[in-house]
Amino acid sequence: MASVSFHDVQKTFGKVAVIHGISFDIRDGEFVVLVGPSGCGKSTLLRMLAGLEEISGGEIAVDGKVVNDLESKDRDIAMVFQSYALYPHMTVGQNMAFSLKLRRADAKTTGERVANAARILNLDKLLERYPRELSGGQRQRVAMGRAIVRDPKVFLFDEPLSNLDAKLRVAMRAEIKALHQRLKTTTVYVTHDQIEAMTMADRIVVMHDGIVEQIGTPLELFDHPSNLLVAQYIGSPAMNVIGGRLRRHGSEPSVDAQGASWPLGALAGGSDGQAVRYGIRPGDMEIVAAGQGIAAKVIVVEPTGAETELILEVGGETLTLVLHGRTPVRPDDRIGLRIDGTKAHLFDEGTGARIA
Amino acid sequence: MSAAAQRLPPKRRLSWRQVSTEAQLLLVGIPLLLWTMIPVYHLFLFAISPKDTATSGKLWPDHPTLQNFSIVFHEHHFYLNHFWLQMWNSLLIAVAVAVLTLFIATFAAFAISRLKLPGGRTVMNLALFTYFIPAAFLAVPMYKTMSVYGLLNSQWSLILAMVTIASPYCIWVLKQASDKLPWELDEAARIDGASPLQLFRLVYLPLMVPSLVAVGTYALLLAWNEYLYAFLLLSKDTDITLAVALCNFLSADDSPWELLMATGFIYALPPAAIYYAFKRYMVSGLTAGAVKS
Repeated sequence: MASVSFHDVQKTFGKVAVIHGISFDIRDGEFVVLVGPSGCGKSTLLRMLAGLEEISGGEIAVDGKVVNDLESKDRDIAMVFQSYALYPHMTVGQNMAFSLKLRRADAKTTGERVANAARILNLDKLLERYPRELSGGQRQRVAMGRAIVRDPKVFLFDEPLSNLDAKLRVAMRAEIKALHQRLKTTTVYVTHDQIEAMTMADRIVVMHDGIVEQIGTPLELFDHPSNLLVAQYIGSPAMNVIGGRLRRHGSEPSVDAQGASWPLGALAGGSDGQAVRYGIRPGDMEIVAAGQGIAAKVIVVEPTGAETELILEVGGETLTLVLHGRTPVRPDDRIGLRIDGTKAHLFDEGTGARIA
Repeated sequence: MSAAAQRLPPKRRLSWRQVSTEAQLLLVGIPLLLWTMIPVYHLFLFAISPKDTATSGKLWPDHPTLQNFSIVFHEHHFYLNHFWLQMWNSLLIAVAVAVLTLFIATFAAFAISRLKLPGGRTVMNLALFTYFIPAAFLAVPMYKTMSVYGLLNSQWSLILAMVTIASPYCIWVLKQASDKLPWELDEAARIDGASPLQLFRLVYLPLMVPSLVAVGTYALLLAWNEYLYAFLLLSKDTDITLAVALCNFLSADDSPWELLMATGFIYALPPAAIYYAFKRYMVSGLTAGAVKS
């Protein structure tokens, strides 16, 4: 186990800079998820930590020791790849024992460690099989087993669940989380799937265009996104965002948008008349009778069983609303929306930075 | 109709499209088969004909005999005095060429494709460029080169010449094949602690076996079948390969055709056997590098 720290880390490919000076620390035993859209630099950052990409500037340290110039094998890290990267000509057991074999570990230690990892991952009966004889989920577990036998300081996962079907992904998500709780090894996990990030991470690092947008626990990011980008990336369905003007006069601050007044809670910043983006999560709105609250028209009703998702039209904007249970409303119904102003988010129109 | 009869599967009926596809295949396949087999058949016909009726033109000899093979095997003819030695020469040279070519091409492909050595692209372009020059063009320069290095009349001259000719193609094929191995395997091995040589030995080589067999077979057959270079570079009867020795049969006015054909038939068997033994690899291995992907 170890801490990891990034200090002003930069990466350029030729003249193109893809990572612009990233700094943050990962605590010993922490599960940190790097999340962001494709091309945001999250995988590159992970690969720099793994020693698979050169570090163009800044420093990466594992357990206080700068690893910039260390070979991958000397960094004491293990990595699970998106494509599993199992050696096709080796059995499951040989795949898992490969790193120990290279380190010339004695047969007894190797056997014990492989058996231990196989037991943890439920691979005991598959040790003699070849990767081609395994299902996607089993291969994924072998890839994890290969990392576990190393007993490394840091586990790295590069989008390990992307190749699995939806059901298996949920199951493997839980397995990886359980594994981390059991082994308590510092873990850096890269994904573009915000649900994976929310469910697994101790802390999430949201990246975009080679910079860190925000770092925080899943609920911090959900409740207090520092900008529009994070607000819309974290949470599913995504936060509704409406352009409007801030009104500070009167009893309560609000936003005028689409011919309606959208309530806000306590508001510290912002000036009257300022162009803003008003954000409200799909679960933070309530349906009330037509004529009350904000007038909306139902476009689509999507029941998923436990929840119902409604696509609504307010003025020219389309909003998503999620309610628990079922609803009698039908497409084309006119309804009212009630919003708890304290749950609303406010961002600057130009910069996208959070106002409240 | 009984219920049981109703459950019988319907008769398999070929659609017109299937019939026409089969017919087209046969239309191409039969002439190809004849075109390939007729010379081989005549070779065999000569080989089992007695000397006096060898050129009679019949489609089957009146008195087929294995006498010719016996003469060949026992070296009972002036031209066949060194048959076994020349056969051995052919084999030795072919195997040496295959081994050396494999050695060079595998390391070159690994270095260019997996270690991404600078200048690799240039080497690949040069390898491709050699396709534009027929080997026959280089025969005389090669002879001159060998004489400069004092290698003429040594079997090394032929081995080195054939390795030179076979290597570019083999490097090209192996490089293309190794480009198809997932890059993550190298990265996983690096993280697991493998040095480049361990990566080569423990991960790369086992995965390249089909291509290596294909390329090795190619080099082996190229050297086995070579005539021009063998004829130019070797001259002693005890050094030459069987391909050159076969040609010596034609230096007399009354060439013993039946013995020439019997020897030729024997000479053609090992390549056929090797090809059939490794056919599976030849198809998958050589096509793996056929298209640049």
